[in-house]
Amino acid sequence: MLGRVVAACGLLVLSGSVPHESTSGRRDGLVVFAASDLQPAFTELGPAFEQLTGQPVVFSYGSSGSLAAQIELGAPADLFFSADESYVRSLAQRGILDRASTRVYAEGRLVLATLRSSGITVASLDQLLRPEVTRVAMANPEHAPYGRAARQALVSSGVWETMAPRVVMGENVRQAAQYLLTGAVEAALVSSSLALDTALVSAPLDPALHQPILQAAGIVRSSSRPSDAQRFLDFVTSDVGWPVMERFGFVRPHVR
Amino acid sequence: MFAEGLDLVPALLSARVAGLSTLAAVTLGTPLAWLLGRYRFTGRALLENVVLLPLVLPPTVVGYYVLVLVSRRGPVGEVLAAAGFDLAFTWRGAVLAAWIGSFGLFVRSAQAGFELVDPTLEDAARTLGRSEWGVFWSVTLPLAWRGIAAGTALAFCRAVGEFGITLMVAGNIPGRTQTIPLAIYDAVQGNRMADANALSLLTLAVVVLLLLLARRGARVRF
Repeated sequence: MLGRVVAACGLLVLSGSVPHESTSGRRDGLVVFAASDLQPAFTELGPAFEQLTGQPVVFSYGSSGSLAAQIELGAPADLFFSADESYVRSLAQRGILDRASTRVYAEGRLVLATLRSSGITVASLDQLLRPEVTRVAMANPEHAPYGRAARQALVSSGVWETMAPRVVMGENVRQAAQYLLTGAVEAALVSSSLALDTALVSAPLDPALHQPILQAAGIVRSSSRPSDAQRFLDFVTSDVGWPVMERFGFVRPHVR
Repeated sequence: MFAEGLDLVPALLSARVAGLSTLAAVTLGTPLAWLLGRYRFTGRALLENVVLLPLVLPPTVVGYYVLVLVSRRGPVGEVLAAAGFDLAFTWRGAVLAAWIGSFGLFVRSAQAGFELVDPTLEDAARTLGRSEWGVFWSVTLPLAWRGIAAGTALAFCRAVGEFGITLMVAGNIPGRTQTIPLAIYDAVQGNRMADANALSLLTLAVVVLLLLLARRGARVRF
């Protein structure tokens, strides 16, 4: 009787594990931890890279801060694409990323997006104070670079104090965009890479309103395949990869 | 049946993770439930509360402290890593997370099953010459069966649905630690609603089927 329960569980385990091993257990994709603003571009670049090199890539998306924390605690990432420099620099300083591999690969752009179907258009930050905009989404400034830039932009436009009670924070910039897409908020401050969705209308923000969003990447030192990681890192900024990045609103960085 | 090209790897991973965690819950939880259901001893209330703690604490809190323990820099993880065994950010970590999240549900239900067993029936078996071990296997366990079966089903369903502890302990790595709930979360965030709907429906179907089977099973006399 208890034997049957155990047998049933055993069967479940076997049925779960056998196909799993054969389909993905030995697939051994390169594991890339990527800031969530990169998702639309990397969804295209991943398969393109696999076609070119035969090397599959799997992506784990999140806010740069939480991904950095996971890598620090030993998560099995080969490569880390952050949405800003500070997390990459601090991981490299502590020997977790290979310092020589780190580079600024792109500059991100912040935009102000609204839902096309709502009929609300917002051209500048002070227009967020209009009564039809009851809630505005942005990423959490504590650990998401686009959140930090959004807060800086609101502060330098002098509307942060008034806006703060109406701000809804996403764990990362992708979640902030999701709040807008589901109609939970009327406007969102997101990366230009996430505002290309046809359901959204967006207005660019003056980059001078916040510190530049310099997106940096680096290879994890404990990676067992640094050369594959290097290849993907190079691929993103290569003649094949960069046009895709550009299409999703990334700009070539003007530093170093 | 499902969205075009739906990735079934999260479903297979979930089956394995929930299956193993339920197996662990049943094997470790049955003796514990028997102890809690049949005996009064010092520290019993404390033990009961410790078992229930993961059910009442926010999963992120539980997940955070489990991660602190089992990550390579944690006291447990350090020892395991030295032995070449990683828990954090692996599928084994997902099993641990699912087990922690569901163990209390199994014990609670099985304990209620043991509490309902009439001690005079066990005494009758003893007068007929059964050993203590024989009494447990031939009288106590069969009579507590319903609680154990219900607990097994509940624990399995809770393990399938485990999200918060898993996200902290195992991360969200497709093909490695991305179970169904994490894949749904990822699909929603990436605005892939068809995938999210298909995976949700699949989960709903499996879980409802299992609960129905468990109800039927529990009614059958063994």
